[in-house]
Amino acid sequence: MSDKNISKKIKIEDVTSLPLELESQQKASKEKIGSVTEGKLTLYDRQKRNVERFHELLRKKMTRQLASSMVACVHCGMCAESCHYCLSRPDDPQMTPVYKADQIRRIFKKHIDWTGRVFPKWVKAGSPVTDEDLNHLKNIVFGTCSACRRCTFNCPMGVDTALLIRFARGILTDLGIVPEGVFNVSRDQWETGNQMAVTEEDYLETLDWMKEELQEELDNPDIDIPIDTEDCDFMYTINPREIKFDPRSISHAAKIFHFADEKWTMPKWGWDQTNFGLFSGDDKLGAYVAKNVYEAAERLRAKRIVISECGHGYRSTRWEGYNWAEYDQNIPAESVILTLMRYIQNGRIKVNPAKNSEPVTFHDSCNIARSGGLLEEPRWVLNKVCSDYREMSPNRRENFCCAGGGGLLSMAEYKPLRMEVAKIKADQLKATGAKLVCTICHNCVDGLTDLIKHYDLDMKVVQVLELVSHALVV
Amino acid sequence: MSDILYFLENKVQIVALSFLLFVYILRIFWLFRFKSRKEQSYSEGNATACIAHSMLNVAMPWAMESIRKKPFFYIQFILFHMGVIFAIAATFIIPYGPQLFNIQAVVWIFQFIVGMAFIVGMFRLYRRFANPSIRLISSRDDYFSLILMIFYFGVAFLAIPNNYHRSEWPLILFFALTAFFLIYVPFSKIGHYLYYPFTRFFLGRTMGHRGVYAKRKKCRYPEGL
Amino acid sequence: MPELEIKGKKIDLNEDGFLQNPEEWDDEVAKALAKAEEGIENMSEDHWAVVNYIREYYLDKNLAPMVRKVCKNSGFTLKYIFELFPSGPAKGACKVAGLPKPDGCV
Repeated sequence: MSDKNISKKIKIEDVTSLPLELESQQKASKEKIGSVTEGKLTLYDRQKRNVERFHELLRKKMTRQLASSMVACVHCGMCAESCHYCLSRPDDPQMTPVYKADQIRRIFKKHIDWTGRVFPKWVKAGSPVTDEDLNHLKNIVFGTCSACRRCTFNCPMGVDTALLIRFARGILTDLGIVPEGVFNVSRDQWETGNQMAVTEEDYLETLDWMKEELQEELDNPDIDIPIDTEDCDFMYTINPREIKFDPRSISHAAKIFHFADEKWTMPKWGWDQTNFGLFSGDDKLGAYVAKNVYEAAERLRAKRIVISECGHGYRSTRWEGYNWAEYDQNIPAESVILTLMRYIQNGRIKVNPAKNSEPVTFHDSCNIARSGGLLEEPRWVLNKVCSDYREMSPNRRENFCCAGGGGLLSMAEYKPLRMEVAKIKADQLKATGAKLVCTICHNCVDGLTDLIKHYDLDMKVVQVLELVSHALVV
Repeated sequence: MSDILYFLENKVQIVALSFLLFVYILRIFWLFRFKSRKEQSYSEGNATACIAHSMLNVAMPWAMESIRKKPFFYIQFILFHMGVIFAIAATFIIPYGPQLFNIQAVVWIFQFIVGMAFIVGMFRLYRRFANPSIRLISSRDDYFSLILMIFYFGVAFLAIPNNYHRSEWPLILFFALTAFFLIYVPFSKIGHYLYYPFTRFFLGRTMGHRGVYAKRKKCRYPEGL
Repeated sequence: MPELEIKGKKIDLNEDGFLQNPEEWDDEVAKALAKAEEGIENMSEDHWAVVNYIREYYLDKNLAPMVRKVCKNSGFTLKYIFELFPSGPAKGACKVAGLPKPDGCV
């Protein structure tokens, strides 16, 4: 089955011509959901002059950072050397990062820059004419780039192409010209405060269930998953996926916190550290979700915010969220990896690396390494809890994306292309000879699982909490 | 020396230079008109050190994987841009310090550098036409600027000996082209060096702030250690 | 678009292997999905218990149940659910139960 998959080459026109799916938007319109009537979530409306609005938004949202990246590109093409789309599809010129960025850059040149306004053809400036053109742009910026920022780090001029891609996504989101998956998740996060529409009841019930299971497992009725406790050492925030589909990670965390004798809590509201605003480019959504977390920590007077294993959640909550929300950070925030480091260093938990003897490699999540700065920390922990650690090459800032980043996991229509360009990652994984690939991002867990299945690799994806929990010496 | 050459070497050159400077100042004001976002999160690194690191990227061929993979590209880059620097230097040496070009070795060095830049330029032009990825992204400005540069290097090669008593044409062409350049550059991709400090500053600041580069030592280990 | 062929009948799947039209689901489709997507040769009684519960919940509420509800209703442990469906409740069990792809980072 996988051989057949691998040999299948995708025609790029099939991706760039994907239509705008409106089923969910029509449903939201009919049901008059709050986020739509309050103007937070925009629905596509062909009656509105979308192209003109696009130009207005382009002007309104322009920043100095963006404008510099718009004007600095010299079309040298070095970015092609770094992009997993290009490297996996070397014969497809439309995969080059600069080509993708130029789709937004040309509009900037036509409407804001100097030369392009007077001599558009001379500098390839141009403008979308119809909504169909905007849909085409949607397919390029959402479907052919995982915004991994690898090209940014490999650009001699320092052009931040990933930033331009996110900017274009943001404008399209403001027009409702988005993939259905992006719309659905944004809707849920606006409506329910978490990206999987988990109700408070479901959330509390699941935590309670995990608590009971843990009490049973360790035969200790005192184990707790505290909710909304004030003045704790930290407030633990998670990815809704952990609640909805796989709460084992919550159980691992609670177990470790228990043995570390930690004073921690989970908030009743503001527990979702993920943030679809990062992927959709919608700073308003980004601000709303991040602020929920920051305010929860303030309300509970937590000494710090701890972010569970999640790539885009870490980047959003730890770094970008404060800027989106225009909120001066007043409480430290950290990845749970740092918390684990502290426990091991201070001897608050004892671990035995022999308990994880299978060869394990580490996959750096783009949002945590390149855009987050956690490079050595996860390796430090892994070396303490695993006996056969193998480095992947390239790694750290230069690691390749799992191919499912940038929100692509939620956009099924782009999956065939995503799987094709995951080849570079598959080769990288295979070369390590490891049986386990560890990552600290839920998105990468699924991205890697998909490609392991697609390329028929003999590997399993694990996360750090799971390995640490397994290595615990009680 | 004919009047026209004298006029080109002095008055025209200065007017064109002033124009370039004026447009650049406008351009920088234009860039500053766009709002800049400030960082509101706690820093985990040294933004200043990272900005410096980012700015020096041009001199660190080992810093980028793309260059490590294609070192020949870096050598091309160096030769091409050295050619630019030497050609520009010649536009000042000829009118203001022509005695320097009485030394034959200096002339040879200058000619060697711009000659190499000329060859690199041809190579780059070939690449721009032959590589489908590069062709797809190339604009008329990209082709024109490159052809112009190649031509300029060629003319500079002939003009550098400064033999106006033998033939003035290479010099007239060289200074006429220089004037054209100074006026054209700010509106073309050739002005990219003006933006380099900006993109590099922003990238360095963001990455330094987050400790992607130049991470603070104490942040490597959590507080209390 | 990928498809599934069951006794000559073609069923559309989305790019992620989920049913394009969830109403086309029946026991035969479930078996075929289990085999193609999860590598389950024979659906056991326990597989069916999980799948049928998810299906009923979906038809009633038009969304996937929380894994908590699946465990509570079937009486299985979380660990056992992952043994039954190696891809987990979302990409495994929900897919076999003929649900559309769940939204979000899964």
